[in-house]
Amino acid sequence: MSGDAPRAAPGRWELPALRLWHAALAGGFLVAWLTADEDTYRMHVFAGYWVLIAVSLRLGLAAMGTPRGPLALVRPGRSRLMIWMGGVLMTMVGLAALSGVIADGVTSVEDLHEGLSNTALWLIPAHAALVAWVFQGKRLRDKVMGAARVSALPVLVLLGLAAAVPAQAADPARDAILADYAKAAKAADSGFTGFSAARGESIYRARNTVNADFPSCATCHTDDPTRPGRHAKTGREIAPAAVSANPKRFTDAEKVEERFNRDCKTVLGRECSARDRGDFITFLSSK
Amino acid sequence: MRSIVMGAGLLLSLSTPAWADRVAPLTDPVTLKACGECHMAFQPDFLPARSWARMMDSLDNHFGESAAMAPDKVAHIRKVLEDGAADRVGGKVAGRFLRWVAPDGTPQRITENPAFLRKHDFPAREWARADVKSKSNCPACHKRAERGDYEED
Repeated sequence: MSGDAPRAAPGRWELPALRLWHAALAGGFLVAWLTADEDTYRMHVFAGYWVLIAVSLRLGLAAMGTPRGPLALVRPGRSRLMIWMGGVLMTMVGLAALSGVIADGVTSVEDLHEGLSNTALWLIPAHAALVAWVFQGKRLRDKVMGAARVSALPVLVLLGLAAAVPAQAADPARDAILADYAKAAKAADSGFTGFSAARGESIYRARNTVNADFPSCATCHTDDPTRPGRHAKTGREIAPAAVSANPKRFTDAEKVEERFNRDCKTVLGRECSARDRGDFITFLSSK
Repeated sequence: MRSIVMGAGLLLSLSTPAWADRVAPLTDPVTLKACGECHMAFQPDFLPARSWARMMDSLDNHFGESAAMAPDKVAHIRKVLEDGAADRVGGKVAGRFLRWVAPDGTPQRITENPAFLRKHDFPAREWARADVKSKSNCPACHKRAERGDYEED
């Protein structure tokens, strides 16, 4: 294939038609991609048919256009790589749309449709990169690199500011919770003289036999309560239990009650008394 | 300028996945906080309403531990889960899971549904990974699972 053979001048309408077609295909694909969500299924189907029609229309346009003109599938003078890229991308987009039409009726084709669509999706940036490379070359690379250098400084400044967050002070809400537990402990036992961090620590570290998954508080909260814990079964991260490492601990009365009600039952197999609760908070406030 | 816009578009398209395996994100703050304290707050789309009802009725023994909470909170969360349940909202993902549930069945574990198992047929060592720990730990692999996006990463 050589580019210097005589050819008819392409019609004025051909290049605008090609651009219009490209916009229709790209727009259709974009809409299909954005509406793949469950809620927008009907729009997704519509966009899919749109893409399928656009891909087939391209073949019709190629037949209508001047040979070797803008609408020709293989244009003289174009890099081979771009021609192949276009062919592969169109085929993949077409297959993605076609498999979508089938998947609409046959659910087992869904996975195939997803795979093809994702492949097509990845080919699009590759296609854009190739076009940018061929048409812009060095100019583009210089601009991208220049922009990266200019934007790096403010980003660094912002990161530095974000790191300098002030530390938090002690919380009166925790004192109020402790005072309530002290009142209840006194009511239950007139000999109550105050909470003990040592008793709280023994609750925290005790190995129990009620529940094999959760033998101890330390199972999830770790032996060092200043460190983040991890739910023994779900793996969910738990903020540190110790107040020094997590100033928000024991400041929400409702949550404190809920956690004691649950975890005492799960780990110890019993309710915790007001004294137990106060001891426990006292221990973790001292850590 | 044009090339910068193009470059930005390129980066964007590479960093955002196709929205295929998606359910509506769970947005109720009470539900998100209560469930999310111990595990990811699963979207209600994966179980029928009667399963959620059974679960909210048995929080004293929630998969082997107590997840008891105040009755008004239970009622609130129960309504959120029932309203968003697979048999109430419909949708593709919900349908995929519901297909395997007996008409009067009240399954509790989403991870035992064949629709889940079919897509998670991995060797045991994958599940044993320290950062995975449990089958309920969706975000270990699906980074945007909490936003309802279960696309692979």
